[in-house]
Amino acid sequence: MEEGGVNVIDLTQSDENFIKELMELGADELKECIQCGKCGATCPMALAGLEFFIKRIVHAATLGLRDILLEDSSVWGCQSCNRCVEVCPMDIKPYEVIQAVRRAAVRVESCPANTYEGLRNLYRFGHAVFPKGFEERRKKAGLPEKPPTALSFEEMRKKYQEILRNTILEEIAPFPLT
Amino acid sequence: MKRIGLFLGCNIPFNRPDVEYSLRFLLNALDVEIVEMEGAACCPAYGTMPSLGIFEWAVASAWNLSIAEEKGVDMITGCGSCYGVQNEANYYMKKHPDIKKKVDEVLAKVGRKYNGNVKVWNVTNFLYEQIGLDTLKQKAKYSLNGLKCGIQTGCHNLWPSRAFPANEDNVFAPKRMREICEALGGVAPHYSTITDCCGMGALRSNAPEKSLALFKKKLDTIKAELDPDVNVIGCSSCLMQFDAGQSLLIEQKKINYKIPALHIAQLVAIALGAEVEKATALATIPLNGVITKIKGGN
Ligand code: SF4
Ligand code: SF4
Repeated sequence: MEEGGVNVIDLTQSDENFIKELMELGADELKECIQCGKCGATCPMALAGLEFFIKRIVHAATLGLRDILLEDSSVWGCQSCNRCVEVCPMDIKPYEVIQAVRRAAVRVESCPANTYEGLRNLYRFGHAVFPKGFEERRKKAGLPEKPPTALSFEEMRKKYQEILRNTILEEIAPFPLT
Repeated sequence: MKRIGLFLGCNIPFNRPDVEYSLRFLLNALDVEIVEMEGAACCPAYGTMPSLGIFEWAVASAWNLSIAEEKGVDMITGCGSCYGVQNEANYYMKKHPDIKKKVDEVLAKVGRKYNGNVKVWNVTNFLYEQIGLDTLKQKAKYSLNGLKCGIQTGCHNLWPSRAFPANEDNVFAPKRMREICEALGGVAPHYSTITDCCGMGALRSNAPEKSLALFKKKLDTIKAELDPDVNVIGCSSCLMQFDAGQSLLIEQKKINYKIPALHIAQLVAIALGAEVEKATALATIPLNGVITKIKGGN
């Protein structure tokens, strides 16, 4: 997003279908937002200085500003902390608006590259976070090299992968699901 | 004898296995049988399946929950994300029968099922509600001997409160971790930014400088208001920010002090007599002063 891009809103860009899409992707109460700003007042993204923080994201979503929402990467900086859900007087579940935008973004390949890295690790190892050198670290803590998770149980891991293949991951993954 | 499924997640077994050691030690010491969650996967992290769809989120969590249910146990986790993600998945499945139905169908394809009976506990609520402060006090081998603790609960341990089976009386003024530290002989005062976010997580991955600046703000406040001997952390991701993240700030010459950091599971395990070398094996900020204070107070 360009500097100040959200400050001047071009309402001709409004796309009703995008609002519908977001509502179907989890932002079901979106239209009830009264722009009170409580979500923004409690949001760590705002405190950290991200200009396009939750109140503005919800605003843009209620207006169906598809391009602004999909091109800006702020939604990927959301901490999933749910402060906004806790305080919203209209029960919009603002965090679900963030997730709905992410869900729309991955369907058109408009997400940061590290999103795919987490998904690839999740599929291959059963763990989204899978840092190198863990065997050594586990040894220092007096633990066996591998934890008793999907990583250690191949049959279970295969079943888990089958589950993942029965989700939208099958359609959007830019890596082979084998 | 109480039994509980130990849900490991990713960061604890791979980045901070000293927290895994501590969890295992404290459960044993408190006579809780550990049931291994064989084949469990990632919770799944918020930026993965939850960012693809609610069904995607629910079915991946239901995999883990079904393992616990089959073994007849609830789960405990030391990671805030694992706690939040799986409790929220439970909540969604109860609220959206259509999603639950789809989850059931996909689980059935691999011969599994989930009836919705598993609770996910974090360390604090488990100790507080399932063990009790009196028992904890009785079983402690060492007193914290006045150790001053700065408390970091972690966002996902508090909100969204409606999805959690157990919680603080006031989720914007958490007390349970403070009470645990105090029951063990420490002091754990309130401070003005106690519920602020530490900046770890998606913000750290996608805007690292802003994340560390946010963290510094919190750390500076803790230093100015409390000047604690140690920060005690309720979530493994926060722990990584408070320990390795703080080391980064020191390296970048952004702060000129050091506050050691322990996960609540590490602190409790040490008080119960755990091997310090294993319980703190991956800490980057030295803990010598903290340990001397605890062990010196026996
Ligand atoms: S989402 Fe809720 S808290 Fe945020 S501006 Fe709208 S009504 Fe207010
Ligand atoms: S969940 Fe995301 S949008 Fe909501 S308050 Fe937290 S960081 Fe902000």
